[in-house]
Amino acid sequence: MLTIENLYKSFGKLVAVNDFNLHVKEGETAVLMGPSGCGKSTMIRMINRLIEPDSGRICVSGTEITKLDLEELRRVRKRIGFVFQQFNLIGRLTAVENVMLGLVMDGIPRDAAYDKAMEALEKVGLEKRAQHKSAEMSGGQQQRVGIARALAFEPELMLWDEPTASLDPILVREVLVIMEELAKYRASSMLVVTHEISFAIHVADRIILMDKGSIVEEGMPEDVFGNPASHIGQQYKELIEYQQITNARTLNSKNIA
Amino acid sequence: MSISLAKRKIMNLRKDSFYLDVITLMVVSIVIGSLLATSISMAANSYFSKTLASLVGDYGEYDVLIQSREEMKGDTATHIQKIIEEVFPGARMKEGPTITGKTSFFIAIPEEYRTKQTYEELGKTFGGIPGGAGVGVLTEPRLTIRGVPEGARTMMMDVITQIDGVRFTFRDGSSIGVVLSSLDKATVVTEEIKKVLKQYQVIEISFPVGSEPQNPIRMGESIGDAMKSQLKLEYAKNVSIDGKNDDMTYMVSTMMELKRFLVAYASQVTITPNGSGKLVKGDTIAFTGTGPALAPGNPVDKGNVMVQITAVHTDGKGEGTITQGDAALLTNNQGYRVSNGVISDYVGTAAYQNPRQQLGTALTETTKIVDQIPGFAQDSQNLNKIATLTLDNYSNSITAMEQTLTSLKAAGTTIQTATSGLANIDTKSVQNQIDSSSRSMGGLINTLQVLKLVDSSVGGTVDNLVASQRNLSTLKSGLAALDTVAADARQAKGSIDNIVANGNNTIGTLRAFDVEGTKKNMNSINTRLNQLGQLDTPLVSGQLQYLAAAVPNLKDEEITRSVSVLDKFIAGQAIPGERIQILTTSNISTDAVAPIVYSQVGHQNVSLYSTDLGIIEPNVRGELYSVLNEVRAVLSGMTAIIVTILFLALDHTAIMTVIRCSRINKRKPVEGWRGLLRSAAAIFTGAERIYGMVIGAILITSIFVLGRSGIPYLPWIAVPLVGALIGLIVACYTEKISPMSNDEMMAGQSLGLSVDEIMREIVIPSGRPGLLQKLNQRKMKFK
Repeated sequence: MLTIENLYKSFGKLVAVNDFNLHVKEGETAVLMGPSGCGKSTMIRMINRLIEPDSGRICVSGTEITKLDLEELRRVRKRIGFVFQQFNLIGRLTAVENVMLGLVMDGIPRDAAYDKAMEALEKVGLEKRAQHKSAEMSGGQQQRVGIARALAFEPELMLWDEPTASLDPILVREVLVIMEELAKYRASSMLVVTHEISFAIHVADRIILMDKGSIVEEGMPEDVFGNPASHIGQQYKELIEYQQITNARTLNSKNIA
Repeated sequence: MSISLAKRKIMNLRKDSFYLDVITLMVVSIVIGSLLATSISMAANSYFSKTLASLVGDYGEYDVLIQSREEMKGDTATHIQKIIEEVFPGARMKEGPTITGKTSFFIAIPEEYRTKQTYEELGKTFGGIPGGAGVGVLTEPRLTIRGVPEGARTMMMDVITQIDGVRFTFRDGSSIGVVLSSLDKATVVTEEIKKVLKQYQVIEISFPVGSEPQNPIRMGESIGDAMKSQLKLEYAKNVSIDGKNDDMTYMVSTMMELKRFLVAYASQVTITPNGSGKLVKGDTIAFTGTGPALAPGNPVDKGNVMVQITAVHTDGKGEGTITQGDAALLTNNQGYRVSNGVISDYVGTAAYQNPRQQLGTALTETTKIVDQIPGFAQDSQNLNKIATLTLDNYSNSITAMEQTLTSLKAAGTTIQTATSGLANIDTKSVQNQIDSSSRSMGGLINTLQVLKLVDSSVGGTVDNLVASQRNLSTLKSGLAALDTVAADARQAKGSIDNIVANGNNTIGTLRAFDVEGTKKNMNSINTRLNQLGQLDTPLVSGQLQYLAAAVPNLKDEEITRSVSVLDKFIAGQAIPGERIQILTTSNISTDAVAPIVYSQVGHQNVSLYSTDLGIIEPNVRGELYSVLNEVRAVLSGMTAIIVTILFLALDHTAIMTVIRCSRINKRKPVEGWRGLLRSAAAIFTGAERIYGMVIGAILITSIFVLGRSGIPYLPWIAVPLVGALIGLIVACYTEKISPMSNDEMMAGQSLGLSVDEIMREIVIPSGRPGLLQKLNQRKMKFK
């Protein structure tokens, strides 16, 4: 489905992504994790060339994206759903218009586009907020609109760039629920950049740990977090253990069951 | 590669691309901007023109402007109306605005009265208006030339009148008014007048104080003449009569001459100071004159002679002029200084020279000569008559002499024959012949003696004749003895031969004398003597006697006072004594003129400058309209600038922000001096900056051209630069003016939207409300 080979990107002297190789199978949900500034967002944005890579090769369903001209790239982008950390909704449009935008621009008749958009909004539970503008919605709702917008094209590949990073913990949940559902019930592949360990443990088919622009470890969640091979993996394992202990103690001491 | 790129660009344009939107925006912006600039400027122009027309009428509507005191305007209007009814029937008057207490009246003169004479007599025609403060000319189209020296105005007016398009010229105060046949001739006539003005120059000769010529007008004339003769100039004329009419100038000139005459005949008193006395320029010295004897402490008397010291020599002697009394009264030459009208100390003795007395004596002597003229002429005429008569006899005498010599020759032959037979000789007959010859010769000698008075060259001839006569006497004596002395016959023959030879020589000389020429000269002398005799010598004599008697009567005191009065008048007239103006052709330099000026003024303490003959004065009304036109253009220009700024800020900043974001995103960070260099270069080479500069330049230039805008001191070539500068400044602040959400654009990109779609659906609607937003609404799918 998605194949990345020898991907490289630098900003001056700063190497953001270095010799990055990855393959995501069709229907697979791969979760990319790593410390802040390790190049995760740069890497995921290079997949649909929102950021141009310096070198390397990216293929989506056999199409080598790095070689496409702008017109071809536009067509491929419609097959790739992208959910942004900051939601990136068009402020002047309503929720449904945000979802419809790509569809209408793709030539789909307005009514059909509307139906599709409403369907997408229903999937994220926001059909009642369809006529609201982003400023009238909470962060979680905005992000769900963003998800609906990405889903409306029924993409082959969904890219998630830290979708819960800008949300408070309560709102995170409503987004994660949708993401879990999508991962379970959709056939499309997903590459998710997140710091949500529980989500990764529950949903990911594969965990990819990244540090300083390169993959340091990858594998099944239980392997990576249970028996880490890398320093980053070890840190995540310790973090999981610490959270488990702390949560249990806290819950017991406060008699919250 | 570049061809395919160009094809692609064209294809993009063919499609409904955003590029076309920008082009449409530009066209609409330019049209709206131009209309706005033109409308505002035209509205302002219309307003000012109407205001101006209400104040001074339309262009060419009125011919004369009369200003009068506000409080008299009623009387003034009545008077003007009366005058125009009498002098310019059909003329029309309008009361204009009152400014600073002066009311303006505008008069439109009928076409037939618009003549040179009318304009030159405007002052006279409207001179008696009550409360009148001034008369001016408003006729259009008209040019005014000012600065032309008075002496050159007539010549200039004659030349300008010949120019095609000039209706007539007239004297407008110190300027020349040129009325044109039509407005469209104004440019051509102006150029032609400029050409004429360029053909001439005025050379100004300035004299520093103390070096001024006595009579600048005469001096100017002689410099002009010298320039013409020495530099072979066609034209060099003294025009030093700036701002005055000829009569007044020449009157002043005459007064200056009169002053010179009086000063020349004023007595010059020289005072030799006593041992301790010291004279100072300006001192007044008193002499007794006909007054009481001078004594220190006494007041000055009217009979005293007063001398003012005008100069003090190095030897201490003072020179002065008599300010009271006369030099003739200086019998007592002991002088006392006068201080505050009181006799002070004794200063010395005076000697004087009285040129009037000398002149009187000279005139008396001349009178005597004049009295002798009639007698002298009469005597000369008599003498002339005698000489003429003598000349008439001269030719006859020579003929008689020739006959005598022929007879003598015959006598010689007779004597020779008698030598061989003396007895047969008729001595009596010969003696008679000798007597006859001697008498003839005596007559000739007498004639020649008279002629000798006229022509001394005949003296030798007279002497020869006298000698011949003596020989004849000797011959006669010889003949008396012939009878007895036959031998003497041969001697007689020799004497006769000598007499004949000498006589022939003498006749040759006498014949060489130009009797007719001498007679002609004598006639001429006679004519002149005749004319001399006809002179009214009694009258001349009488006048000379009068002058001889009158000149000494002119008192020094009177001369001094007269000179003082003349000085006051001359100074009051402010004749430009320190400056001479010579009008000449422009092909001569002041360097060439300088030696002539030095020679004429007698020193080199002068400065020479060359100035233009005159300048074409801007027509006030024309200038006003021109200024209004400029104001219109400036307003249009300012509108163009403001509109350009608005269009750039409202419509183009969104585009510039997108371009800037795109540039920044693609840019790779460079550190160190290269980074600084790139940042500096980006000020002008950044894509959004270039876009701003190009759009600014196109917008402002187009609006300037279509709106006929203009800004003083801003050449056309600088207009696009101003536009580019505005565009650059706006581009520098584009993100602040029109901030763009990079996230929204990125969302659009991720949804596979094209640049055009992102611009139309995301960027432009989120930008500043402007023309682009309005135009974009037609293309937007989500309004």
